[in-house]
Amino acid sequence: MNTRTSKSRVVVYGVLTFLAVGMVVPFVWMLLASFKTSNEVFGIPMKILPTAWHWENYQEIWKKIPLLVFFKNTAKLTVITTIIQVFTSCFAAYGFAKVKFKGRDILFVIYVTTIAVPWQVYMVPQFALMSKLHLTNSHLGLILMQAFSAFGVFLMRQFMMGIPGELLEAARIDGLNEYGIFARICLPLVKPGIATLVIFTFVNIWNDFMGPMIYINSTELKTIQLGIRMFISQYGADYALIMAASVCSLIPVLVIFILCQKWFIEGIAAGGVKG
Amino acid sequence: MRLRKIAALSLAAAMTASLTACSSGGSDAPTATTAGAAQGETKKEEAAPTSAPTAETTAPAQKVKMTVSVWDNASSPQFQAMADAFMEKHPEVEVELIDTQADEYDNKLTVMLAGGDSDPDVIMVKNAETQVTMKNKNQILDLTDYIARDGLDLSIYGGAAEQLQMDGRQYTLPFRRDWYVLYYNKDLFDAAGVEYPSDDMTWDEFEALAKEMTTGEGGAKVYGSHNHTWMALVSNWAVQDGKNTLMNEDYSFLKPYYEQALRMQDEGTVQSYANLKTGSIHYTSVFEQQQCAMLPMGSWFIATLIQDQKDGKVNFNWGVTKIPHPEGVEAGATVGAVTPIAVNAKTDVPDQAWEFVKFVTSEEGAEILADNSVFPAISTPAVVEKLSSIENFPEDGKTALEVTSFAFDRPLDAKMAAVRKVIEEEHDLIMIGEEDVDTGIANMNQRAAEAKQD
Amino acid sequence: MTSRQKRQLKTNLVGYSFIIPNFIGYFVFIFLPVCFSFVLSVMKWDGSDAPMQFVGLQNFARLAGDSTFMISLKNTVWYAVFTVPLTLAASLLTAVLLNSKIKGIVVYRTAFFFPYVASLVAVGAVWNMLFQPEFGPINEFLKFIGIANPPKWCASTDWAMWVIIIVSVWKYMGYYMVVYLAALQGIAKDLYEAAEIDGATGFKKLRYITIPMLTPTTFFVVIMLTIQCFKVFDLIYVMTGGGPGRATNVLVNHIYNAAFVDFKFGYASASALVLFAIVLVITLIQLRGEKKFTDFV
Repeated sequence: MNTRTSKSRVVVYGVLTFLAVGMVVPFVWMLLASFKTSNEVFGIPMKILPTAWHWENYQEIWKKIPLLVFFKNTAKLTVITTIIQVFTSCFAAYGFAKVKFKGRDILFVIYVTTIAVPWQVYMVPQFALMSKLHLTNSHLGLILMQAFSAFGVFLMRQFMMGIPGELLEAARIDGLNEYGIFARICLPLVKPGIATLVIFTFVNIWNDFMGPMIYINSTELKTIQLGIRMFISQYGADYALIMAASVCSLIPVLVIFILCQKWFIEGIAAGGVKG
Repeated sequence: MRLRKIAALSLAAAMTASLTACSSGGSDAPTATTAGAAQGETKKEEAAPTSAPTAETTAPAQKVKMTVSVWDNASSPQFQAMADAFMEKHPEVEVELIDTQADEYDNKLTVMLAGGDSDPDVIMVKNAETQVTMKNKNQILDLTDYIARDGLDLSIYGGAAEQLQMDGRQYTLPFRRDWYVLYYNKDLFDAAGVEYPSDDMTWDEFEALAKEMTTGEGGAKVYGSHNHTWMALVSNWAVQDGKNTLMNEDYSFLKPYYEQALRMQDEGTVQSYANLKTGSIHYTSVFEQQQCAMLPMGSWFIATLIQDQKDGKVNFNWGVTKIPHPEGVEAGATVGAVTPIAVNAKTDVPDQAWEFVKFVTSEEGAEILADNSVFPAISTPAVVEKLSSIENFPEDGKTALEVTSFAFDRPLDAKMAAVRKVIEEEHDLIMIGEEDVDTGIANMNQRAAEAKQD
Repeated sequence: MTSRQKRQLKTNLVGYSFIIPNFIGYFVFIFLPVCFSFVLSVMKWDGSDAPMQFVGLQNFARLAGDSTFMISLKNTVWYAVFTVPLTLAASLLTAVLLNSKIKGIVVYRTAFFFPYVASLVAVGAVWNMLFQPEFGPINEFLKFIGIANPPKWCASTDWAMWVIIIVSVWKYMGYYMVVYLAALQGIAKDLYEAAEIDGATGFKKLRYITIPMLTPTTFFVVIMLTIQCFKVFDLIYVMTGGGPGRATNVLVNHIYNAAFVDFKFGYASASALVLFAIVLVITLIQLRGEKKFTDFV
C-alpha cells in the first residue's frame, strides 16, 4: 500500500469513528445519566461522569412500576404477532405473486392502498369494531389488529416476485402441488424477506405506544412502552430514574439485534435492493 | 349527624366483614356486611333489576365487575382507597381501575366512548368542561332520576352540584373540588428574615415579595416564586374576580397577567417558561428541591407534599396560605375546578355504577378523600377539620382552606376544549417570547372565534 | 364445464386458499375501518350515537380555509424537504465509507443501525434532555466552543422543526445505510479496476461509478423516505406535541386533533384523505419509476 491510500484509510476511519460516536452519544448519555442523582443530571457545571454511581436507581424503578410484568406482556405480544404476521403474509404473498386467480390484481391494489393510510385515521372505527367484538382490553385484540398488516403481504410479495417462474414450473412438472411448491421451494428462497418482516414487526410491536395506550386498560396487561411513558409523566423530574427505565427498555432490543444482526442486515439489504 | 353515624357504622361493619372474611375464607362475608351496612343501600340493590340479584343469589365468586377510569393512579392513592372502601361495602362488586397517565387521559376516554365500549362504567371527568361534550353525545347517563329516587341532598356540595347541571339536569356529581393556594418554603423565609406571605396579598405585592426572595446565582439560585407552564397559572388570576371567563370574545383581560408573568420571568424571579417546558420539569421537584420560595398551585399539591414528607423527600418546613388576589377583590377569592364523576351511558352495570357514584360523592366518601389529604367537593366543617388535622399539615395553613368565592378556571362549555387548544398554543408562543402580548391576544381572539364557530 | 374452465376454477380456489388466512384478518380489522373512515370524510359526525349527516364535499372545502391545516401541510412538506436529502446523504456517506473493506464493520454498523430499533418513547426523552435550551449538554457544548447565544431548540418556533429533523435523520439513516451497503456490494469490482487504470481518484470513482450505479436504490430510498415523512407523527408527539405554538404541527397531528380535541371525525377523515392522496401519488410514482429503472439497469 502506498502512503496515499493509507492516509485516506486514516481519514475513513477518522470520519467513521467520529460519526459513530455521534450516533451513540445519546445512548451513552442516557446510560451515564441513569447512574446519577436527578439533580446531577442537569447540574451546572455539567459533569460527564456521575460523581458517585447510583446503582440503586435500577432497583428503585422495579419497585415503582411492575416492569417485569410489562416486559412479559410485551414479549408475548411481540412474539405472537410476529409469528402470525409472517405466516399469513407469506401465504397471501405467494397467492398474489404466483397464482393467477380471478380478482387478484384488484385485491392487491386494495391491499397496497391501505398501506398509505396512517393508523390514526381509522383508529376510532377500528376501536368501535373491536369493542363490539369484545376484544378491547385484551392482548388478543391487540394481536388481531396488528398481525394482518397489508405491509407484510406487500413486502413478501416483492420478494416472491423475484423467484423465476421457470423454477416453479419445473416443480409443477415434477408433480408438486402449489402448497408443496410454496413450502419446499418458495419459502427457503425468501428467507431474507422473512428476516426483514420479522425485524419490522418486532421493532414496531415492541416499540408501539399508541396501540396499547388506547386498547389496554388493566395494569397487568400493559406493555413496556406504556410503562416508560407513564413513568415519565408521573416522575417527571426524576431524570435519572427515567433514564434507568429507558435503558431497561432498550436492552432486550439491543440483545436481539446483536444476536440476529446478520439476518436483519441481509433481509433489509435484499428487500431494499429489490425495492 | 345521622348520616355520619351511619357512615361510621357501615365502616365498622365493613371492617368486621373483612376480618370475618379473613378468618372464615370469605364465604359468609356478604351476609355480614348486609346485616351491618346502612339498610337503605342493600334494599336498593335488591330492587335493582339487572345483575345485582343474581350476584347475591349465586356463589360469591360470581362477582359483578365494574370499571372506573382514573389517571395517574400510582401517585393518587385516593382512587384505590375509594375503590377498596366501596368493595368492602359491596362485596358482590369488583371494582377495577382503568389507569391512564394524565396527559393521555382525555384522548383515551374519547376513543373508548366513541367506540361505544361499556368500559369504563364510571368516568372520572378530569376536565369538567368535557362533561358537556359527553352529554351532547349522549355518552353519559342522566342521574337526575336516580338522585330523586334515592332522595339525595345536593345542598351538601355548597352549590357545586348545581354548577354542574346541564339543561337543568344532573348528569354528574361533584367528587373533588380543588382550588389554588400559595405554598411557601418556611425555611427559606426564615433564613432570609422575611415574614411569611400573608393571607391577604395582591398580585403586585406578591411580585414584590418574589423579587425580595430571589437569591443566589447559577446552580445555587433560589427563585422567589415558580410558575408552572400551564396556561392556568396566568389565566386563572385574570378570571379570579369572576367577571371574565376563557370563553370571552375578547381576551384582552389577560394582558396585565401576561405582562406580569413575562416581567417576573425577565427579572429572573421565576424560572423561564422555555426551560420548564422543554425539560418537562415538574413543579413538585422545583419546590421540593427548594429551588423556589413560593409556589402558586392547586390544593391537590398538599397531598403530594404530605406524602413526600412521610417518605423523607421533603425535609424542610412548608406553609400554605390563600392565593394572592387582584386589586379590589376580597382575600379568599380563589379559582379552581370541580372534578365531576359520571356514569357511562353504555354501562352494563348501571345500578352498581350509580351506587359507586353515590358512595364516593357522599360524606363518607368525602372523609376517605380527606384522609388521603384530597379535597372533596363536600366541605362541611367536619371535612375541613379532618383535612387540617392531618399529620404534617402546617398549623397555620388552615386559612388557605377558607374560601370566600370560587371561580371556575374554565367554564362548562361544549366548545371549551377546542378553544382551549388554540389559546394554549398562543400562550406557548407568548411565554417563550415568540409573540408579544398584544399579537398573542389578537391571535387568541381570532382563532378562538374560529374554533367556536362549528 | 370445459377443462380450461375447470383448471381456472381450481387455480382460483388454490389462490383463495393462500389469501384467505390473511384476508379475513385484514378485511375485518383493517379494510372495514379504513372504508368507514373514508365514508366519514363526506359526513358530519361527532363520535356520538346520533346519526351522521351527509355533507358532501363541505369538509374538503373547509380545509383550504383552515389555517391550522395549511400550516400543518406546510410543516409536513418542510420537514420532508429537509429530512429526505439529509437522511439520504448521511446514509450514502456512511455506506460508502463502510464499504471500503474496513475492520470492525460490525461495531460501526451496530452503532449506526441501533437508533432505528430503539424505542421512540425512550429516545424522545433523551433527545429532549440533550436539547434542553438552558442547561442541556448540547447548548453547554455550544457555549463552550464560543457560541454565546445558542438556539433555544424546542422552545423556538424557528428551531423546533430542526430538532425533529435532526432526530429523524439520526434515527432512520441506519436503515437506509444498510440498504445502500447491500447495493454497493452488488456493483461489479471490475468497473472500479478499469477506472483506476484510467487514473480515476476516489472522488471521481464515487461521482462517475458509484452514484450512477446506485440510482435505482436511491430512487427506492427517496420514495420510502418521503412516504415515511408524510406519515410522521409519533416522534413529534413524543418530543414537542406539535409546539411551540403550531411550529411542528404536521398533517397527522392535525388529523389527530381534529378527531380527539374538536370531535370532528368527518373533518378529520377529509384531512386524512388529502394525506392519503399525497402518499398514493408518491407510491404510484415509485411503481412507475421502478419499472423504468429495472429496464434501465
